[in-house]
Amino acid sequence: MSVFSFYIFDRHTECIYSKRFAASNNAPPPRGAAGGGIQNGDVPASLRKASKDLDETKLIFGTIFSLRRMARQLGGADDQFLSYRTGEYKLHYFETPTQLKLVMLTSPNVGNMRTVLHQIWATLFVEYVVKSPLAPAEHTGGKGVANELFEGGLERFMEAVFRPQQ
Amino acid sequence: MQVRTGVCGGARQPEASHPNRYRRRASPVRLHATGLRVSEVAAMVVFALLIINKAGGLIFNRTFAPGLQKLDSNDYLILAGTFHGIHAISRTISPAPPVQPLPGNRRPPTTGIESMESSHFRLTCFQTPTGVKFLLFTSPEQPNTDAVVRRCYEIYGEFVMKNPFYSLEMPVRVEKFDRALGAYLVRP
Repeated sequence: MSVFSFYIFDRHTECIYSKRFAASNNAPPPRGAAGGGIQNGDVPASLRKASKDLDETKLIFGTIFSLRRMARQLGGADDQFLSYRTGEYKLHYFETPTQLKLVMLTSPNVGNMRTVLHQIWATLFVEYVVKSPLAPAEHTGGKGVANELFEGGLERFMEAVFRPQQ
Repeated sequence: MQVRTGVCGGARQPEASHPNRYRRRASPVRLHATGLRVSEVAAMVVFALLIINKAGGLIFNRTFAPGLQKLDSNDYLILAGTFHGIHAISRTISPAPPVQPLPGNRRPPTTGIESMESSHFRLTCFQTPTGVKFLLFTSPEQPNTDAVVRRCYEIYGEFVMKNPFYSLEMPVRVEKFDRALGAYLVRP
């Protein structure tokens, strides 16, 4: 039971916050130093990783957008898309009335995380971002979201939820 | 549950000598034969079954119980194509580190969407090794949907794939398949 990443998308389809959590327990590093470096020429590793992350947020947004529409189409206007599961991970989804979308990727054996996402929104996002006098109303480019209080609160909260059990 | 072998797929065999176990509806014998207890069948609400071929085209579409919105056939085709795309995308998003790095630069094999939940229904997707996808729409409370969708695959193997007049990747219009599915999924 572990969490992989967490994303917030605003109502303009933009990713305003994303966070990857370090792989817990004894997972090996994703790939060896010798493997990836040769083919990709002179693109620096940090830049490559950034564009890969950007691509991934776009893919995630496309997926939830389509699935949300599909749920509405089949279940009626009040139907909400909750989650999907593959063999490797599970994606949890929560949307606020202001069309702020919270997405969390966890390992597939995790149960319903809707309340957890709701709590992140209500106790962290609203408290530390919406009520912050320095944050703008629209978080274009993620402006004002990733402040220290929010980051710290999120980290502590996730640690408490996904604490390894004995 | 294993796929029975033999040539009972076509319409050639006389019904009297080979009583088809899917023919009879809601009899205790049939319930026993499907391997499900009566209580399980009573709790079952299966809304619909869609079969998508490996190119993303809808080849079978049937509703078993009311509960989902009525869509016209064009919308179902769009839905099937969309899901086919999302399924492919969900395979490329793999946040979990691979258990052991594969030789070369190969990506680890991923499964794609296996089930999706919304507040009104649950979608269970089963992809066969040949790329055909079975989409089963059930109520969120429905237990062991994996077994149900695999059973649908078995019925498909039995009555569609063994039908000599069925051409691959084409819409499924096999009467026996329809009857067998109805006997298995329609609530008595």
